[in-house]
Amino acid sequence: MSEPLRVLLVEDEALILMQLEMLLEDAGHVIVGTAMTAEDGVTLVHETRPELVFVDLRLGDGSSGLDVARAVREIGGVTAVFITANSRQLSEDLEGAAAVISKPFSASVMEDTLAFLEEGLRRPPPVLAVPHGMILAPAYRASWAPAAP
Amino acid sequence: MEQDEAWRLTDQLHASTGKGDPFAAAVRGTRMAMIITDPRQADNPIVYVNNAFLAMSGYGRDEIMGRNCRFLQGPDTDRAAVRQIREAVAECRDIAIDLLNYRKDGTSFWNALYLSPVANEAGEVLYFFASQLDVTDRVDAHLKTQQEKEHFEREVARRTHDLREALAAKTMLVHEVDHRVKNNLQMISSLLVLQTRTITDPAARASMDAMLKRVEALGTVHRRLYQSNNVERFDVTEFARDLATDLVRGSGRDDIRLHFDFEAVEVPVAKAPPIALMMNELVTNALKHAFPDGRAGRLSILVAPAEKYFTIKITDDGVGMPVPVEISGKRSFGKRLIETLARQLNASISWQSANPGTAVHVSLPRETAVSSESQ
Repeated sequence: MSEPLRVLLVEDEALILMQLEMLLEDAGHVIVGTAMTAEDGVTLVHETRPELVFVDLRLGDGSSGLDVARAVREIGGVTAVFITANSRQLSEDLEGAAAVISKPFSASVMEDTLAFLEEGLRRPPPVLAVPHGMILAPAYRASWAPAAP
Repeated sequence: MEQDEAWRLTDQLHASTGKGDPFAAAVRGTRMAMIITDPRQADNPIVYVNNAFLAMSGYGRDEIMGRNCRFLQGPDTDRAAVRQIREAVAECRDIAIDLLNYRKDGTSFWNALYLSPVANEAGEVLYFFASQLDVTDRVDAHLKTQQEKEHFEREVARRTHDLREALAAKTMLVHEVDHRVKNNLQMISSLLVLQTRTITDPAARASMDAMLKRVEALGTVHRRLYQSNNVERFDVTEFARDLATDLVRGSGRDDIRLHFDFEAVEVPVAKAPPIALMMNELVTNALKHAFPDGRAGRLSILVAPAEKYFTIKITDDGVGMPVPVEISGKRSFGKRLIETLARQLNASISWQSANPGTAVHVSLPRETAVSSESQ
């Protein structure tokens, strides 16, 4: 495996956060921080400068993952991926995020997702197919998932 | 002045109709209110008024003669209508207009005014001839209709607004519930995954893993549920694709090829969970038993609609199951689950040898009591 990804997790359900941490660690990646609110998430984005941020749409204290995605878009060089049970509330461009993964996700979909994102960030374009629970943002569709021949 | 005198003379003829000038007599005797003004005199004064006009306006002849018609206007007379009349007079053309006028006693009436210039042979306008008709009833009726129409439109708009709000609230509630269901299923998955990691006993671990797959199958149902715009129907084939891909991926077996043969089949949403769980058991079973010792193979899933039933066929080209033992022998939990779900779905299941491998054939009614209840 190539250099592990530096990942930030923003998710307000502790159990789901725990499962994500575990899946990421199993895949050999490094978790640089976890946050349960948008405010903490934005702070950590700036402090830790991760390569990848997983963001839930609905966060603690009624805050929104959109704010985290916008902070990520502003500083640049960081890839955000939404993990949400209401992907329909997202705008077409996913607020600059690369993709959205629908909840509930299975363990194997998340493993596929991590492998796909690793390729996308380390050795683009990814050779792997887009995992079936994942929707790519239009901006990434062309480069990460060229139309099947 | 000569003409003017002639009109005055007509006025003075208190003779019966038919005497003197028959046209003048007609104007004098008609029930249609009429006046004549003289634009050649200052301020275009009234030079003739008939009895019908006096009756309609409540004025005496002496009070009107020599005055401009504007005394008929009052506080609620439409200024724009007055302007239109003034322009018609200035441009010497005729005009027909409804305007609110006032009687001597201050009461108002709707006056259907018809005004036209009377010119001599040289084209010079000598008089304006105006006829008036009290159309208060007609205008009131029209206004009333208009008001009622506006009232109903407002009422319809109000109710439409209420219904939209109710619909929006309902949609929000559905999304809220959907969100919670999905999040809770994710949490159950998380719990199972986290607990499984602490288990060392292979059998216990396998049971936990099987349970996780069942919860994930239900999760896939809910993820698929509102992806289409139809909240009442569930697409079996889309689900089957997600489920089988997920299970093969989860088994870690990249030597098992998946083959799909799908014709779209939609079922009522209430049937989705039992169908999902049943397919999960059947596919899991095939992956577990058909390809032992790293035997590569193909797993084929067919979904095909028929008239009253639809078929799900799961075929492997593996080692083949010892069918009779599997069915009649000691029943596993998975097997009991399949039978129980089949009973709920009113489905029939048969296991056949596929030479090589095994084919499981499930026949399900397309609509069940579930869907007729929900109607």
